[in-house]
Amino acid sequence: MSAEVEFAPAGLSAIEPPLRPTGTIAAAALRFGSLIAFAAILIVFSLTAPYFLSVGNIGNVLGQSAISGVLAIGLTVVLIAGGSNVVTGGIDLSLAANMGLSAAVYATLTQLGYGDAAAISAAIGTGALIGTVNAIAVVYAGIVPLLATLAVMNVVAGLELVLTQNTVLPASTPFLSALSASGPSGLPVLAYVLLGFTALATAIVQYTPVGLRLYAVGEFPDAARAAGLPLRRLLSSAFVASGVSGGIAGILSVSYLSGSTTGSGEMLLPVVVTALLGSVFSRRLVPTITGTFLSALLVGFLTNGFQLLNISSTLVSGVQGALILIVVSATTLLRRQEA
Amino acid sequence: MSLLTSTSAFTDLPRLIAAGVVRYGLILALVAVSAIFSAATPTFLTLANLQSILVNNFTLLAIVSIAMTFAVSSGGIDLSVGTAMDFASFAFVSLVLAGQPVAIAALAGLAAGALVGAFNALLISGIGVSPFLATLGTLFIGRSVQQLLTNGGNPVYLPPSGVPEAFRFLGHGTIAGLAVPLAAAILIIAAAAVVFARTRFGRVILSIGIQPAVVRYSGIGTSTHIAATFVIVGLIAAVAGLILTATVTVYIPSSGNAFLLNAIGATFIGTTLSPFGRPNVGGTVLGVLLLSIVANGLLLTDLNFYWQQVGTGTLIFAVLALSFINRKAAGHA
Repeated sequence: MSAEVEFAPAGLSAIEPPLRPTGTIAAAALRFGSLIAFAAILIVFSLTAPYFLSVGNIGNVLGQSAISGVLAIGLTVVLIAGGSNVVTGGIDLSLAANMGLSAAVYATLTQLGYGDAAAISAAIGTGALIGTVNAIAVVYAGIVPLLATLAVMNVVAGLELVLTQNTVLPASTPFLSALSASGPSGLPVLAYVLLGFTALATAIVQYTPVGLRLYAVGEFPDAARAAGLPLRRLLSSAFVASGVSGGIAGILSVSYLSGSTTGSGEMLLPVVVTALLGSVFSRRLVPTITGTFLSALLVGFLTNGFQLLNISSTLVSGVQGALILIVVSATTLLRRQEA
Repeated sequence: MSLLTSTSAFTDLPRLIAAGVVRYGLILALVAVSAIFSAATPTFLTLANLQSILVNNFTLLAIVSIAMTFAVSSGGIDLSVGTAMDFASFAFVSLVLAGQPVAIAALAGLAAGALVGAFNALLISGIGVSPFLATLGTLFIGRSVQQLLTNGGNPVYLPPSGVPEAFRFLGHGTIAGLAVPLAAAILIIAAAAVVFARTRFGRVILSIGIQPAVVRYSGIGTSTHIAATFVIVGLIAAVAGLILTATVTVYIPSSGNAFLLNAIGATFIGTTLSPFGRPNVGGTVLGVLLLSIVANGLLLTDLNFYWQQVGTGTLIFAVLALSFINRKAAGHA
């Protein structure tokens, strides 16, 4: 495929140039600039919005970010294993639709009288199945991920409509109520779910040999193949993992919205942005689970801060867009200076 | 190409057949899909319906997909084609509503689309942001700006009595028996085909898409060409915006985004037609035709509306899978 659509950090060469004294400042700005910007945003909001820095509000943001956070972390696994090229590398456009269908499956089953255990396994199974279809299409049929997951997205969104007839399916079960309740120290349970999911994903991706191999496959596929890594199996499992995240996010959204609702496709672009923006929070500007988690929180805090300040919600998407451009432009310019 | 480079044509027969399926798979798919719909519905193969496919399904998607083909040819992608459409549409309707002549309003619309393209060009060529992220940012900002301009997303209607004749002509008129929107689409397709096949500019942006470094070392201004490409993308998308508005006499915020995914789909389905997987105008047009025929045919069947989306997706998936598997077999993977 000729379309070499790379996202900014792709210019990173395998060997980093030694840092000169002037470069050190730029490098430091590059490494910590995004964290400093994050902190600055938090400070501005806590000074202007009275309840922003309360435990309850932080818990709210965590809880509200749970769904997009889980999806973005799933996408990050695919970004890591697929490499930095958005078209031919790692991307999973079917994730938001996956969440919608999994939620619809969950709600339908509970309406049919099945218990939580069956509904949970079915929702996660649905997600895993969608991930498997993506994996087969990308790894074994050789369709570029952008196209394969685009087609799968259409099919999955259609299936959701078939299942729900484009209506809201209410669902309420003991498990869902427990999920949407508030947990220890007044934080919502969804906040703990996000923290737990992030911790688990971080442990697997950043601290195990499997995670290291995922990075190897994504960044240096030829070297990984030469080293005898099972390329296809690793890439496939990344897509399946992303699908499972979609299923989990589906369960969370049923609990958060007390049922399955339409319009899950709207989540797609924010989730892609969150995952791509996440690499700004890593030292070498590569996708990481913790980076994505921070970026999900940043987006969550921005939305929340605007709400508290009574700034029109129409501005949120504009600020998200401007944020991407500023962050990416800054890192691009700094990198150019550094090189 | 593969026919010439094959070492021994006779021992390589399976490979040749596979290469043929790659080349002609899209046309085969078009014929097969048309045959199925002709057999399944009595109305598909009527002149009125075929015209309806061209006017209702094909025209706008074709124009947007040609714009996308320019972006993808240069090695990028433009997620803001819908935004350029919307801005053009907004400028057009607002000025007509304010009593300006249609020609002036249309020019302002084109300028608005070009402005979106110029913003992308600045980010991509000027700063070096990747096209995917730059146009994603433009898409988000554009959505916000449109909501601010329309008090939170209210449509801008032209009163039925206040629609000027020239406006109506753009949406519903005919030139020599050809609907004006369709004529515009054909003109743009032809112009794009000429640009890619016959002009230096076309060759340069195709080369940038394939080997940017080589082009740069040849002393050709890569960034000016990419910048010009994104302005052209904005301009072409603006034409689609003008036609959409003239047809429905209303501007609805963010309505252009509905074309984005299908335009990407059509462009990339089109690349499967090229033996080396490159974007090309002919392939894009066939991709748009395939999507239009499927959308129309499924509408004619008694299939539940929601199953139609499943059908479209499955079909695109099948076409892609087939051509990529065959491409692999033909050794072009």
